[in-house]
Amino acid sequence: MRRRVSPWQVAAVAVLVVLTVLYLFPFYWMVVTALKPLVEFYRFPPTLLPVHATVEPFLSVLFARGYLVLLRNSLVACLTAVATGMVVAMLIAYPVTRFPVPLAFRRGLMNWILSLRFLPPIVVVIPFFDIVRKLGLYDSLLSLVLLYTVFSLPLATWMLRGFLLEVPMEIEEAALVDGAGRFYAFFKILLPQLAPALLATGVITFSLAWSEFMFAFILSATPRSQTFPIGVASLVTQFEIIWNEMAAVGTIAAVVPILLLLFARRYVLVALTFGAVREKA
Amino acid sequence: MRHWTPYLLVAPPVLVLASLVIYPLLYNVSLSLRNYRTGEFVGLHNFARALDDPQFFASLRATAVYVSGTLVIEVVGGLALALLVHRTIRSGWARTLVYLLFLIPMVTPPIAAGVIARLIYTPTYGVLNVLLERVGLIRTDILWLSEPLTAMFAVISVDVWQWMPFVFLVCFAGLQAVPIDTAEAARVDGAGGWRLFRHIEYPYLRSLLLLVMVFRFTDTFRVFDHVQVLTGGGPGATTEFLSLYLYLIAFKFFNLSYAAALSLFVLFVTSVAFSVLSRYLGREVSE
Repeated sequence: MRRRVSPWQVAAVAVLVVLTVLYLFPFYWMVVTALKPLVEFYRFPPTLLPVHATVEPFLSVLFARGYLVLLRNSLVACLTAVATGMVVAMLIAYPVTRFPVPLAFRRGLMNWILSLRFLPPIVVVIPFFDIVRKLGLYDSLLSLVLLYTVFSLPLATWMLRGFLLEVPMEIEEAALVDGAGRFYAFFKILLPQLAPALLATGVITFSLAWSEFMFAFILSATPRSQTFPIGVASLVTQFEIIWNEMAAVGTIAAVVPILLLLFARRYVLVALTFGAVREKA
Repeated sequence: MRHWTPYLLVAPPVLVLASLVIYPLLYNVSLSLRNYRTGEFVGLHNFARALDDPQFFASLRATAVYVSGTLVIEVVGGLALALLVHRTIRSGWARTLVYLLFLIPMVTPPIAAGVIARLIYTPTYGVLNVLLERVGLIRTDILWLSEPLTAMFAVISVDVWQWMPFVFLVCFAGLQAVPIDTAEAARVDGAGGWRLFRHIEYPYLRSLLLLVMVFRFTDTFRVFDHVQVLTGGGPGATTEFLSLYLYLIAFKFFNLSYAAALSLFVLFVTSVAFSVLSRYLGREVSE
């Protein structure tokens, strides 16, 4: 039954193999560099595997350089922003999908939220910097949390809207007919149904906030509010680069969203295209 | 009473959101009309200044090269790859593997991609030079990040590496909507690869391609992160794209007013791109 293999199939497999190498090797190289003592990094030619593998660069970065604090800042800022963002997104997505509001209102609102996705950060950060400084909020996590919340909203609102549309209205209506209040129907019936969807939304918006660089770069000055990506950048741009430590922070920064999103993989493409692509390829 | 519930729910978050977004934008307009140091109203002076600022035009040119370069490579490459894989790879697990492989670069923080690119392109110890020397393609190190052309290539390559997969995945998902019977029938009727694409597959991809291009255009137009750590705008100012130039004006020279004026230009270009998208989608998507 096996069909003859066409030259195009051979080409496709060849291209995919090359791409696999192009995509996995750079990651591999970063991780391997992070596991090498510095003398090995300078050895020529470089070795594909560390000769004396060590986790010293990771420990040195996290403890000696105190990057643990930056990790904590990132976690606090991102988790707060995600939690606030989800509540706000639900407050918008729920009425828009569950109440008979006029089409123009629904479209206008959702479109406006979508437009925030395209708002260039540099346009926001210039006035924000001035405002934040006058309010005495420069170099504080609060200003980052506010911005991360705003910038997580387009994705969160659109994702929740998509998920809400998939849950049949009848389930809640049945409860409403039975005399339950809106609150009861929402918290006891709708939310449990949405639990996996909420988790996916949280994971994806968290990863976006985790990767954010420009706002933190401009609005923070000390470890009081610097996030992890700022730590990464300062190791990359310093005068004499400590290569294995730079690779170690790069690895930590990349591993977090990659692991999270492999977990929420089914929703990533749907989320990034705002529902234009319905299911995973 | 019931009638108002949805509006009551929506109102607080929208008001807070609007104040967090619209107030800074108005603030930006006000900044742009003043002299930042004295606070004095100067009318359109900051906008006029842009017109004879050679650095602004240099940055605009660099951004144009970057945006068009990445956009062409990502769209053509991603689309071609999607067609190739769609027409030849049938096995389900192979497709899942491709999906997972291409998800990874998209979710990698740009700053980490910058680290990776540093490890690849750096002179003497960069792995790319070592590989090229090994294969015998070059004799002496290429200083990737210190020559204008290769530096531009390096920053573009990072974007392509991260986002060509996005174009691929979207196109690939779009191709799944093409009915197999129609494609088969066309093939039996003797339609070649190009005509199959032009008449059968392209109609299913048209709106997705527009969407992808608007996303990629607006994102590359405001690029900052990986360029900042990879070249910092250099060598000279050859990769000093708009966001980096604005950063320089606002936060190194502390002329927030001039930066605000230029940022309104960035906002304007992005808004035009978005309005194209929303108008088109408004027509396409019926709710």
